[in-house]
Amino acid sequence: MKQGYVIIGFWIVLLIAAGFIVKASLTEEQALNYSEIIAEPATNALPVEEGMFRLAGSAKAFLQRPNMGATSTNLEEYYKRRAFPGAPPIIPHPTEEAHSMGGNDCLQCHQNGGYVDEYKAFAPITPHTEYINCKQCHLPVNTTGVFKPNRWKKTDAPEAKQQALLGSPPIIPHSLEMRNNCLACHAGPSAPAEIRVSHPDRVNCRQCHALNDNAKNTTKIWTR
Amino acid sequence: MMNRRNFLKKAAAASAMAAAATMIPGILFASDQIDKKLSGDINWTKGPCRFCGVGCGVLIGTQKGKAVAVKGDPNCSVNKGLLCVKGYHQIMCTSSADRLTKPLVKKNGKYVETSMEEALDLVASKMKETIEKHGKDSVAMYTSGQSTIPEGYVASKFMKGAIGTNNLDCNARLCMASAVTGFLTTFGADEPMGCYEDIEHANVFVLWGNNMAEMHPVLFSRMLDNRLNRKNVKIIDLATRTTRTSKAADKSILFKPQSDLAIANAICYELINNGWVNNSFVEKHIAFNKGKTNIGYGLEDKFKFKDKATPIDFDQYKSFLEDYRPDKVEAITGVSAKDIKYLASLYGDPNLKVVSFWCMGMNQHTRGTWINNLVYNIHLLTGKISQPGNGPFSLTGQPSACGTAREVGTFTHKLPKGVVMNKKHRELAAKIWKVPYERIPDKPTYHATEMFRAVDRGDIKFIWTQVTNPLVSLPKTSRYRPAMQKDSCFVVVSDVFPTPTSDVADVILPAAWHVEKSGLYGNSERRTQYWDKMVEAPGEAMPDAWMTIEIARRMGYGDLFPYSKENHHEEIYNEYRQFHAGKKHNMAPLEVLKKQSGVIWPYIEETGKSTQWRFNSKYDPACNQDKDFDFYGKPDGKAVIWQRPYEPAPEIPDNEYPFWLNTGRVIEHWHTGSMTRRIPVLHQAVPNAYVELHPDDAKQMGIRNKQKVKVISRRGTTILPASINERGLPTKGQVFVPFFDESMMINDVTLDAFCPISKEPDYKKCAVRIEKV
Repeated sequence: MKQGYVIIGFWIVLLIAAGFIVKASLTEEQALNYSEIIAEPATNALPVEEGMFRLAGSAKAFLQRPNMGATSTNLEEYYKRRAFPGAPPIIPHPTEEAHSMGGNDCLQCHQNGGYVDEYKAFAPITPHTEYINCKQCHLPVNTTGVFKPNRWKKTDAPEAKQQALLGSPPIIPHSLEMRNNCLACHAGPSAPAEIRVSHPDRVNCRQCHALNDNAKNTTKIWTR
Repeated sequence: MMNRRNFLKKAAAASAMAAAATMIPGILFASDQIDKKLSGDINWTKGPCRFCGVGCGVLIGTQKGKAVAVKGDPNCSVNKGLLCVKGYHQIMCTSSADRLTKPLVKKNGKYVETSMEEALDLVASKMKETIEKHGKDSVAMYTSGQSTIPEGYVASKFMKGAIGTNNLDCNARLCMASAVTGFLTTFGADEPMGCYEDIEHANVFVLWGNNMAEMHPVLFSRMLDNRLNRKNVKIIDLATRTTRTSKAADKSILFKPQSDLAIANAICYELINNGWVNNSFVEKHIAFNKGKTNIGYGLEDKFKFKDKATPIDFDQYKSFLEDYRPDKVEAITGVSAKDIKYLASLYGDPNLKVVSFWCMGMNQHTRGTWINNLVYNIHLLTGKISQPGNGPFSLTGQPSACGTAREVGTFTHKLPKGVVMNKKHRELAAKIWKVPYERIPDKPTYHATEMFRAVDRGDIKFIWTQVTNPLVSLPKTSRYRPAMQKDSCFVVVSDVFPTPTSDVADVILPAAWHVEKSGLYGNSERRTQYWDKMVEAPGEAMPDAWMTIEIARRMGYGDLFPYSKENHHEEIYNEYRQFHAGKKHNMAPLEVLKKQSGVIWPYIEETGKSTQWRFNSKYDPACNQDKDFDFYGKPDGKAVIWQRPYEPAPEIPDNEYPFWLNTGRVIEHWHTGSMTRRIPVLHQAVPNAYVELHPDDAKQMGIRNKQKVKVISRRGTTILPASINERGLPTKGQVFVPFFDESMMINDVTLDAFCPISKEPDYKKCAVRIEKV
């Protein structure tokens, strides 16, 4: 009887060992015959469509958001924070010069917005929450001086104009890279008053507003 | 601050106000602005970014002949439309009020404006006269990893082909030389085998002393993106200082300066000890070598060293590694055996794809070549190389350190293809340049540090610098600034802005900036990028390549430089391309480069495609197709695992100088700040340098944040404000200083020790003392 158990036990151990050997040889096989089919290189343009509807859930709230006596940003202030129209804005408030990343810091307020008592203002919402290394592009201002005087002149901001027909929806006058979520800047109490849209609940902005960022050379006349 | 729930509560309470909100004056709709004026059309032109080695594609917006805006190029696979703050604001430096627009010639100690003709005549006659009096090796040129491909090419042709001296080196010696010698010793062929697309395939990223969040921010964002979307991605930060990168990483491992050598060997020990070696890969594709040990630090003038490779076998290598058992090296590295075993388990797991990234931490190292070799060893033992998502990836610092310095070869020992020591390589150069091959000397002369030592000694009597600012960027500037001020050497500086280097020049030549000329750059992933001139350069500012050509013509070498002013960059590139003809390094033709946001070499003519993974016959037609991998840089097709020991740094903290000094960059500033400090957005964020201290060290010395302190070494002193718990956090007993600030010269303090093989200085380690001012 006892001997029987030993024999059975022996076979079980052997079986387990065999299992391990097969597995090991398989993984080795895998490692050596590594062959993965590579998809087309990720050369897709920065998806200007991505994030379009990210704030759609808040659209109704945007309609109702009161401004609660907060100082709302005006367009002049909005452009003052940018070196040129389309440049990443500076950080206009003091920050901890922490080594931490946006996900733990900046996005706490700038992902979905909200009222900030300290500044009596609503935090602007970022149109690109997918990027969390915020200080890669946005810098605080720690001095007002310059290293050497600079003759830089800002170009005029693009303006909503060029209605194709009287009363037709205005075109989008700026490029959409890094700014594909329209509601982030054009809706809610943190949006500059001048560019705040009257109907954020429509959500599908580009259903009616076409893009024309005045790039001279991006579209060519098509010839057969 | 209020949270979302509170906000909604308040929002409900104030719902009565809501309807009124839309009626508040000042809230207008876009439709109210229809009548306003047109803002004018913007012309967008593609090009590579001016700054780092990532090589992002940018679109420069021009309007009425001026550059007015920058955005990321969504069609460039490097960055897919994203840039960093330097990239977005780069064009703003060109409008700096102190832009150099006229040549300046020093007369009786004062700079006098002259015409370009007069200045070029003077430089040419001075150079000619010096050669006649003191010989060819008394003149030198010092260029840059930021020079364009045509600029580097004509400099090499001028110095080596026309004049016949190897006195040409560049600032890439200070940043990439160890990477090059690492590649050459291990693979026999320079530059990474993989490409940035590895990021989309890898599961584990090990960053060896590389603060990517600040220094290669766009690649770092690409990595973070992948971690977010693919879930099975880990980032391990292996560093001597806690940075933004460490905070974003899944694990941060801190080690003692110089001990990366021991860590890499300990990982290899673990790989072998645990049976994680890919035996069939090693058998088929690997040879084992050992080199010389106790190789010195190059601190003395005219230091000479030549390594010698001795073949060894696997068992010898294995017994060498016995000294690097993880628990045995804990004392050297400060890293627990557990952490080293963890790292080894990541590299060793056959189901994980691993990419190692590094840059200056490993290259600016007195054993830079060795540590490059050692990290390759890890990837070679496990066979994790030359496959999508698997590979060692040496990142470059400068935008064309690869394209110009390494590929064109603006180093003393290099030629556009190969090295001056090789007769065949000299013959090829002579043939394409149409010069007698005897004219190209077969011995290298001065590498960067030694070149400025030679200026100090009076051996070099004429030096011309282009696109670089050595008197801020060299180590131990406390010696080389007075050297350049000596009357024994005539100094010519070509630059866009005045710098501490142009301050000591006898002639200052105004240079055209990036988009004010056409050119080509080559980035870290072997991608060559072309751009067209977009705006006119101000005043008499001129492309550097054209300055070199003008000087060469004035010295009687006109027949070697038959290029046209308008199109010289194209004519030069077409001539240069011949050097790399063949499967292993074929460069894409201009017509292709003009259409695309860069092409990775080797470019396959038949298919019009880039080779993304070299040495793997599945992707690389240059491989012997009978083998799965072919390291064709070596005659036997085998990559080399090098036996390299840990050796200490040349200067170690002691009682008198108790702190390690580490230097580097910040995201806002590019190198010596001559461009970025002139961009208000960047300057206003970081207006000056500082010295980071560990809070415990600061407390012990009674130093408060922003308080001025003196950083003192055996070479020199500088005074900076303290930075405690701000951007970065050095380990106890270490301080960190960024080097961009010409008014707080940390390089007066650094040591000019270098890797004896690569001759690249170590800016990351020397001993200093801190004193309150």
